[in-house]
Amino acid sequence: MTDLPASFRDDDAGLSEGLWVSHGKIGKREDSERQSLAQILNLVRSGVANTRLEIERISGLGRAIVSDRLETLAKTGLIDEDELGPTSGGRAPRTARFVEQRGLFLVAVLAQNSIGVALSTLAGKLLVEHHEPLDTSLEPALILKRLKTLFTWALEQHRKDRDIWGMGIALPGPVESSSEQPFASPRLPFMPGWESSSFVEELVTTFGAPCWVRSSIEMMTVGEMLTGTAQGVRDMLFVDLSREFNAGLVLGGQLFQSAQGRAGLMGHIAVSDDTSTLCKCGNVGCVEAIAGAEAVVRAASQAAQSGHSPQLAELLENNVELTVMDVGTAALMGDTYSAELLSRCGRLIGTALASLTNSFNPSVIVVGGTLPQSSDILLASIREAVYRHSHPLVSRDLRISRSQMGTSSALIGLARSVADEVFSPNILPRWIVQGSPVRNPETAAAIDSVRAALDRADKSRPPPMERVSA
Amino acid sequence: MIKPITGLGPHGERAASPSTLKISEAQAELIAARRYTIAIVLHTLNSDWSKQILAGAAATLGRHSAAIIEVVDCQFNGAQQNHDLKRLSALRPDAIISIPVGNADVAEAHAQVQASGAKLILLDNVPTGLMPGSGYSTLISADNFGLGAIAAELLAAHIPARSIIGAIGYDADFFATNERELAFMRWMENNRPDIEVRQVRFRQKELAGKATEDLIKSCKHLEGCFVAWDEPAAGTLKTLDAFKMDIPVTTVDLGNEVAAALVSGHLVKGIAAQRPYDLGVAAAQAALLALIDQEMSPWISMPGIPVTLENILEAYQLVWHAPAPLEFRKAVRRS
Repeated sequence: MTDLPASFRDDDAGLSEGLWVSHGKIGKREDSERQSLAQILNLVRSGVANTRLEIERISGLGRAIVSDRLETLAKTGLIDEDELGPTSGGRAPRTARFVEQRGLFLVAVLAQNSIGVALSTLAGKLLVEHHEPLDTSLEPALILKRLKTLFTWALEQHRKDRDIWGMGIALPGPVESSSEQPFASPRLPFMPGWESSSFVEELVTTFGAPCWVRSSIEMMTVGEMLTGTAQGVRDMLFVDLSREFNAGLVLGGQLFQSAQGRAGLMGHIAVSDDTSTLCKCGNVGCVEAIAGAEAVVRAASQAAQSGHSPQLAELLENNVELTVMDVGTAALMGDTYSAELLSRCGRLIGTALASLTNSFNPSVIVVGGTLPQSSDILLASIREAVYRHSHPLVSRDLRISRSQMGTSSALIGLARSVADEVFSPNILPRWIVQGSPVRNPETAAAIDSVRAALDRADKSRPPPMERVSA
Repeated sequence: MIKPITGLGPHGERAASPSTLKISEAQAELIAARRYTIAIVLHTLNSDWSKQILAGAAATLGRHSAAIIEVVDCQFNGAQQNHDLKRLSALRPDAIISIPVGNADVAEAHAQVQASGAKLILLDNVPTGLMPGSGYSTLISADNFGLGAIAAELLAAHIPARSIIGAIGYDADFFATNERELAFMRWMENNRPDIEVRQVRFRQKELAGKATEDLIKSCKHLEGCFVAWDEPAAGTLKTLDAFKMDIPVTTVDLGNEVAAALVSGHLVKGIAAQRPYDLGVAAAQAALLALIDQEMSPWISMPGIPVTLENILEAYQLVWHAPAPLEFRKAVRRS
């Protein structure tokens, strides 16, 4: 892991004015041909239009231009026009299809105690995924090493000579959208040790593609909205109830992104006057400190050791340490202590969720994370408290579901997010002529600049102590 | 003897215990009155693992008056499995217990099962894109990540410092074997970084011997081998014999052939065992509970058992629900 000079992140290599600043302007490279190519590709890619007639009608472009641009897109391999569509009486029209297998995205989610990786098509369809436990409090260099190993493994499975067009990493904390830059690591004040890490630069130079960083709660929310139980819902609340409690919000069909990306810290809603449990935020009464996975395991372990729960004592003896899943199992086997513990936690969580329900009036609340997986008792208690403490006007048609997607939701959300960046109207016109973002000379130049900066930072670093003493 | 679960499910889920699949007396009455029909689709019917899965499932379903109307052998062939799943839908079973033999190539056929109204219980593998609830009821599998780590630990104990070993893996996109391989490599990297692991893969289990031969030819100083499961491991043992190589081997699944090698002290030094009979029981219980709309965890898993010469007799009983064969008992006594 290399520490880059602070100046690199802002200005070095001219990146802040270069190709991959998604919020920047195109400037001199803008021309109408590129714009029309990008417009047509995005119409086909999003499924809005797939025949020449539809493309002409929606884009407002003339027949000759549409025909010419589709031919260009077919030559780049991005569009396939081989299939015939349904006829309305005359000759069957050719349908344009986005070739999602043309390139690949690599995506990874660092959740609270695990890592998940996937390889996806350009349409965000996962081809292979893998999740494993990982202590995310480890130093970033070790996490990055494992991430590279897993990405390499995923590519060995499915690459088939295809280019990687983009990468996405979801982290367990807020990521400021204003700091977005696909060739430089964002500042991450919430993750100790990561503030000076150059993980994005390392990934960019290893895999040769831009990399966007997102918050895992936001990507889980997007994934649930795209393919989960909240599919198609316009106002939705997703909550990840694990060691920490975080919430993601979809309002009017759009993910809500706050000023510093720090919305949804649901775990710090106060639900108790109990001053005996201090939250790591320094406050007391926070719901995650009282009803989070750590609190549940702590209470269960005490009950096992004190003799209040024979079932938990037996599980503790077999497993060395208890998990929230053990508490759920004990409750299901008739352990009254575990059942009451989960019920109490569920009511506290439901009380916190009710205040969000009253504020935002979602149609659906999707409950994810390790706690809801542990037991139906917890989910039932959450439901009970939400309905009890919400105003009837907001709870009348409210549906509360358990997530079925696990952390796959974040991988699906990330793949879509990376696709949105690569094909965004700001970026797409810049590479469309080459037919691939990573075949674009400006991208190659940007990656070379990152590599050179990493080399400079390596050389300027003092040698390790072992080398000195040797 | 049993290790805690260390892996995660195909969607990052935490494992739930098979004890969460308990069928109450009232549920049992309801299930028995409905006389459900179940089909079972396996990758092969010839392995010891498959026979045990079937035995566990059949005993459990029989106890609840549910009939197995078809048992299908897909012969590790995705096209065959797609064809069989389509054929089974005409028989309208209430539930299908299936081990998907591939990923994308069998995803659509498996998605159709639950879409058609039957309940789908998956064993060992989930095609990418299929989600619990909508695509299938639950996945039943061993903790394959844990099995890979156990096999690594058992092998490492016999490997001298700074050696080269081989990892002989399955060249297919399959959840269970992927997990084992990744965990094996991770354990070695974290605990024995002095060991270099050379990876080779076989496309069909019959070709594991050839993959072992390629490995031996490319590496003159091979000091040990891990093989993804017991059947291909038998091929590896034959190749090692042919090359007159006496190096330690570990694998997954307590099949009779590798168990015999373990008790004889020849090549096999340890086995990471799963409990296929109990997995079959769990799959059957999950199918029955799904049919009465009982919610269940998306991933039900059982931890692995490290098996060596020291505990093979007890482990055999736990895995096979039967005493170990006489020759095993004699061999253990002699040792």
